[in-house]
Amino acid sequence: MDTAKKPNGSLSGLRVLDLTRVWAGPLATRIYGDYGAEVIKISDPRVPLVTENGLNSKLNRNKKNIGLRLDKSEGRNIFLELTSISDVVIENFRPRVMRNLDLTYEILIQTNPHLIMCSMPGFGLEGPYAEYPAFGTTAEALAGIPGLTGYDSSLPISSGMAYGDPVSGLNAVGILLTALRQRNITGKGQFVDIALAASPACNLGEFFGASSSNGYKPEINGNKSIQYCPHGAYKTKGDDEWIAVSVIDETAWCALVDVIGDTDLKSEKYLLLGNRKKDESFIDGRLSAWFESQESSDAMIQLQNSGVSAGIVSNNRQLLSDPHLNERGFFVDMDEPRFGVKRYDGQSILGNFVDKSNWTTTRDVGESSKEILVELLGYTNADCKKLEQEETVLFQ
Amino acid sequence: MRRTKTSLPLEGLKVIEIAQGIAGPHCGRLLAAFGAEVIKIEPPRGDWSRIVGPFLQDDENIESSATYQYNNSGKKSVVLDIATSKGMTAFKELVSTSDILLEDWDLSDRELLQISNNSFTDSNSSLIEISLTPFGLSGPYSKFTSTPIIQLALGGYLYLTGLPEKEPLMLPGHQPDYLTGLNGNGAVQIALWERDQTGKGQFVEIAMMETLATLHQFTMEMETYEGYVRNRNGNLWQRESAFSNYGITTIECSDGHLCFGISTEDQWERLCVMIGKSEFLEDPQYATRAKRRNNATYLDSLLKEWVGARTREEVMVEASEIWGLPTAPVLGVSEVLEDPQFRHRGLFVEIEHPVTGKTTFPSFSFKTQDMIPVLNRAPLLGEHNKEVLI
Repeated sequence: MDTAKKPNGSLSGLRVLDLTRVWAGPLATRIYGDYGAEVIKISDPRVPLVTENGLNSKLNRNKKNIGLRLDKSEGRNIFLELTSISDVVIENFRPRVMRNLDLTYEILIQTNPHLIMCSMPGFGLEGPYAEYPAFGTTAEALAGIPGLTGYDSSLPISSGMAYGDPVSGLNAVGILLTALRQRNITGKGQFVDIALAASPACNLGEFFGASSSNGYKPEINGNKSIQYCPHGAYKTKGDDEWIAVSVIDETAWCALVDVIGDTDLKSEKYLLLGNRKKDESFIDGRLSAWFESQESSDAMIQLQNSGVSAGIVSNNRQLLSDPHLNERGFFVDMDEPRFGVKRYDGQSILGNFVDKSNWTTTRDVGESSKEILVELLGYTNADCKKLEQEETVLFQ
Repeated sequence: MRRTKTSLPLEGLKVIEIAQGIAGPHCGRLLAAFGAEVIKIEPPRGDWSRIVGPFLQDDENIESSATYQYNNSGKKSVVLDIATSKGMTAFKELVSTSDILLEDWDLSDRELLQISNNSFTDSNSSLIEISLTPFGLSGPYSKFTSTPIIQLALGGYLYLTGLPEKEPLMLPGHQPDYLTGLNGNGAVQIALWERDQTGKGQFVEIAMMETLATLHQFTMEMETYEGYVRNRNGNLWQRESAFSNYGITTIECSDGHLCFGISTEDQWERLCVMIGKSEFLEDPQYATRAKRRNNATYLDSLLKEWVGARTREEVMVEASEIWGLPTAPVLGVSEVLEDPQFRHRGLFVEIEHPVTGKTTFPSFSFKTQDMIPVLNRAPLLGEHNKEVLI
């Protein structure tokens, strides 16, 4: 996969104006940037981007940055000029923000009829909740994620991941490129609206199908599975260390029993899923007793080598030092001007992305302002000076 | 969603989908909806998702799996046993005239079938081959097996869901597979963009574990920037670090739970005023996010008192419309189907199937103005054998 990698990446030639903040939008445009698209992030000069917690640095690599006040008429004009030479505009404000800036799709296509514009509001641009504020965690609640997650039905539990965001980000990556392909056929741009709350629902399709068809009512039931047993996370040696185990058939069951050497579990009746399900808490008790004295990584390797699906429950430290991810060269070490070398997750799509040695760290607000105004829009140094004095553009 | 006369962007593309389960098929569903001809190659016993519940109606048979039907909308089904040389020959012939191949052969499968990474792209240079496997085609875990809970565990998700001190919890259904399917669609579209300029296809590898590892907002940065292990916090947010915060919480109402997503300073200020505690704004006990988070139990009790005996909807309307605070009801499966916002959006569509009748499935989370995706029913096993193979 590394041979003959295009130095500029598959998406070279694509220009994206990125007004997104927080996670869903920046995640989508990070993938475009890794793949060589020219992503121009538009930042509010009053809000720093690079912060001590690494959040924005992780998500905004391989993007240019202009610090631009869209609420000033000169700033708005610059944005329109950039729109006229871009393929995609993407934003994830609440619906009223772009309306108040008078930068709706209807306005933007007047400067560029080929434009693909994507809005990513919490609930969509229309409908009873359209103007309501949202967050990844509230989005997943409406979609039914915590309603299916927890130890029992008394308390639904959120993913802890603000799950509306990553699912929406991945949806954006594909659908905008599909819209660009449509543009090549029709010659016209279009508007795409992604609702953060709708994305997780589309990852639960079978639940809705069954509910509509026969009233299927799944219970909140910890890690229990209707098709696999045993199935769950078991405490191992060490502070808050766990291993996940999932026994998918009789062969795996026999292998598991052999590994832990438990004669009580050797019983013929447990070859049947139904009998294991009946005695699930007894079986879980025996497994827990065994795992308690095991190192999670050793147990995982022993079980996997015997044909049992198992995996350590990685926390952030374990993830960063995971031998598989490291051997595959998944991570990327980037020398951050303010923080030194930091390790980040790399690309999960192993195609022709820009070689990691050419990746750029997150540019802070205004770091590319001059380059963008002068090289892309033909502004003079005197123009830039004026924009700086008027505090329309921040240069850094 | 109805058939439309306007052309769709992937019309004319031929996709061979031999990937089974959820990841590859979910990707194929998107391609079919936008006009590609997706030919699904199933082994004689059918795609394994055909025997995975939940099932539709009351019949458990290979045509009634909700998981299969949802993810295989609008495809053609062809039965081919590629373990036989005749089957493999027919398969290779199909791939030689196709644009996209979606497959899920891990290293063990590849050895068994004697397929290398460039077997297909070498003989069809415009082919885009998307490889979707649990752990990828190299590295120490490449022959490991997995189910969703194992993926969530190794991808760093499982550890973060659930109550502190209790067993970490999995997300419902097949989330790692769905995320990988969406990533697969991104990969297809990126490779098509390149192919449109160069005429060349490519082999693209995607591992589920790596997909999940890229879908963390700040998990690893809590360690690399601040030196904290990120914990699971039930319905609350972080206790420590720059991401420490109060206001992402879940409160019981008279008819179920309501999720609050208060994350910014201005939202915190409005929250205090809303619950009649403006004095908190001056109180050093609440001056920092970490201090507020440490008082979460007390703050939850105040919020609960403010909610009183009201319903989720009553509270959501007030919190959103008057106070500008993000909230949403925690909905059960049947409630999501009835939710007025999703109904207004037309998120759910009814699809008729000859064996199971009418079923309501989600369409897509995006709405597109100028290309309306088509969702037709999933095929019966081998329904298109004749049409495709003869």
